[in-house]
Amino acid sequence: MLPNERFNANRERLPIDPRTDLPLKPRAQPGYYPGFSTLSQQSFWDATTREVVRKRVHEIPPFRFFKAEESRLLQIICEHIMPQDDRDAEHRIPIFPFIDERLHAGRTPGYRFENMPPDGEAYRLGLQAIAQISQKAHGKNFIELDWRKQDELLKSIHDAEPLPGAEEIWSRMPVERFWGLLVQDCVEMYYAHPFAWDEIGFGGPAYPRAYMRLERGEPEPWEVEEKRYEWKAPPACVSDPAEPDIAAHKEHPPAGQGGTH
Amino acid sequence: MKTPIGGEFEEAHDHEHHLGAMQRLDAPMRRFADDDEVDYLVVGVGAAGGVLLQRLARAGFRVVGLEAGPFWDTEKDWVSDEKGSHQLYWEDMRITGGENPLTFGANNSGKGVGGGSVHWAAFTPRFHPSDFEVYTRDGVGVDWPISYWDLKPYYELLELEMPVAGPAWYPWGDPHGYAYGPHPMGGVGDALIRGCTKLGIGVSAGGPVAILSGSRNDRPHCIYRGFCIQGCKVGAKASTLITHVPDAVRNGAEVRPRSMASRIQLGKENRVTGVSYFDREGREHFQKAKAVIVCGYAIETPRLLMNSACDEYPDGLANSSGTLGRYLMAQAGTVVLGRFDELVRMYKAPPAHALTEEFYETDPKRDFARGFAIQTVGPLPIAFAKQMMVARGSWGWGMRRVMMDYNHWCAFGVLGEILPWPDNRVTLSDERDQFGIRIPHIHFSLHENDKKLIKFAQGKTEEVMHAAGAKETLNEARFAHLVGAARMGKDPATSVVDLFGRTHDIANLFICDGSILPTQGSANPGLTIQALAARTADYLISQGATVFNSDKRDLTPPPVRPHLSPPGTHGKGVPRFG
Repeated sequence: MLPNERFNANRERLPIDPRTDLPLKPRAQPGYYPGFSTLSQQSFWDATTREVVRKRVHEIPPFRFFKAEESRLLQIICEHIMPQDDRDAEHRIPIFPFIDERLHAGRTPGYRFENMPPDGEAYRLGLQAIAQISQKAHGKNFIELDWRKQDELLKSIHDAEPLPGAEEIWSRMPVERFWGLLVQDCVEMYYAHPFAWDEIGFGGPAYPRAYMRLERGEPEPWEVEEKRYEWKAPPACVSDPAEPDIAAHKEHPPAGQGGTH
Repeated sequence: MKTPIGGEFEEAHDHEHHLGAMQRLDAPMRRFADDDEVDYLVVGVGAAGGVLLQRLARAGFRVVGLEAGPFWDTEKDWVSDEKGSHQLYWEDMRITGGENPLTFGANNSGKGVGGGSVHWAAFTPRFHPSDFEVYTRDGVGVDWPISYWDLKPYYELLELEMPVAGPAWYPWGDPHGYAYGPHPMGGVGDALIRGCTKLGIGVSAGGPVAILSGSRNDRPHCIYRGFCIQGCKVGAKASTLITHVPDAVRNGAEVRPRSMASRIQLGKENRVTGVSYFDREGREHFQKAKAVIVCGYAIETPRLLMNSACDEYPDGLANSSGTLGRYLMAQAGTVVLGRFDELVRMYKAPPAHALTEEFYETDPKRDFARGFAIQTVGPLPIAFAKQMMVARGSWGWGMRRVMMDYNHWCAFGVLGEILPWPDNRVTLSDERDQFGIRIPHIHFSLHENDKKLIKFAQGKTEEVMHAAGAKETLNEARFAHLVGAARMGKDPATSVVDLFGRTHDIANLFICDGSILPTQGSANPGLTIQALAARTADYLISQGATVFNSDKRDLTPPPVRPHLSPPGTHGKGVPRFG
């Protein structure tokens, strides 16, 4: 496809400029910190950290855990959980390969909920459930649905009120726990990448150089000032409500995962 | 691409063992043979195990520390990166359940020399005098078999050994001051001070945290890079890896890394004889010892004792009371997130740098017993994204949008006292780990008082966040720290160890870590765990060989031995009030 055709094919999936109501063209670096580049600072990082980040950017792990069909499905799902249509092709952040790699290596976060199967099995069950729902609701494979239908199906899982079709699976695996597993893995892979750090204005590795401007959100000399722009979520998506969307968690809020204090 | 003057920073090519940017492990380590009967075998070289090894080695005992994880070289093994730091956390499988299942790994469990003290945020408030007598005062929980005043001398020692930076006047609990100056404020601390001040709530700025505000000996001061819970490569944040273990090794202790204890052996005459463990290749060994001290923290300690069940102790070693594994506690750690119009950039400065204990004590005007603290936290992007998933239901473009505002958000953590309940407990699952050892199952549910406390604390914290200027607040329910599950007490029928950490059942088996805490207050437990370890060490030194050859149980408090502190720490530059 020529760049223009690709642009037009995906315009339903592109964020909108509210001033013109036209799609925003994909760019190398979305976000409010134009010109900010953590990778440009890597000479100031210690060698061990530099190597870990280099590998993450340049050595994409091979697919080993998921079967071909599962891979196709999960890759599309990852594009809904962490959509990147606003990024040009050279600046997308691989997510699926790192989930595959984690499960292949058998790495866990150090616990499993008593009503959950092991992570790999949970993924397989969840993918089956999504396939079954898609067949029941639309008579089609998930990957053949239009983008908005896919987004809506996933939203029903987010809401812990999944569309009918996979009741048996959800009786073996709580739907909100599956959602938590999937979203946590996706955000971990996305926000571990230096392109994502540049997008959100996070300073990245900081040893041995240090920070010296701690107060009032001031940037370091090598960081940049924020330059905001308005954008509306793409027409084909339902994942950007104006208000917090936690109805599904009111009864049993999931506990926080990372360490804080 | 810019480079530093002199070129980009290079890999450490030397063969030295780095403990922070400047310190090196500068002595060859002693190696005992498995059949060499050592005096004390310490299982778990973390917050407590590190202090015990150091004290006992200095006093001349032959000691070995078994550690399941690696003996870190901070320069070669650690990174300034969130995702790259998983190796610091205990990520072996645990099954978690109950109405409010706890999460483990990065949340509260360390692996490798230094244990959890490697990835703690390093808040080091003392417990208050009231914490030791909550049953007497409020009719809840249980009293400790010791008082604050028994522990106070050890708080003072450890605050210098770590050392702790903080204000010269700290007003809560037993008022005291800190030798090392408070840290400068980051964006989160600014907001906490602003919010508290507006509401007339007292607040402590710049500590108490076990992070150097000025260089000391071969440890540099903090560089404010914000990666405390990913391991401090700088060597400014205290962990026993850099504060106590080097001195232990220098004095003849052996630290045996990648050694996973599987079973404590009970011999004749109701005495333990040593510990079976798996080495890095998975080979099983047995280390003989005259006495064993288990320092595995609140999950691994009961797990090891339960996995050591035998004919004499069918429900787990030292568990004749049936309390082993019970009264497990985590602290309420609800994170309140606030969005500000102006930038905060909360990734700068240590996550831990300001707090208030104004709500710590029981207040008869509230409808629950005990209280809470409000502390700064500083989630990095991955942790923050996971919080937004929970707190805002974010995913897809909503996640992208809220994350683009990362620098506008600020986070406070509630630290609330959850009371000890018998049904919150560790048991063994039927599943096994990579060594074939049964893995733990943890059951955790909140009770009425806990729920009321959390609701109130969350509301108060939101109020402070709004007063600081936040336009929107969200909250993430979560828990912090793990203590209990092998509690100390006077009565052998309702506790596992006595006031010095000796198991009631077996005279040469001790427990020394967070699991022996009967209650937990609203203070981060790290300082108290290390202070208890120093006290147990003084006790063992006073008992001398009695521990090795008799079942005599002497409960006389030992003298405080400040000369056993690592060199150059005791008595330096601390202001004293009262």
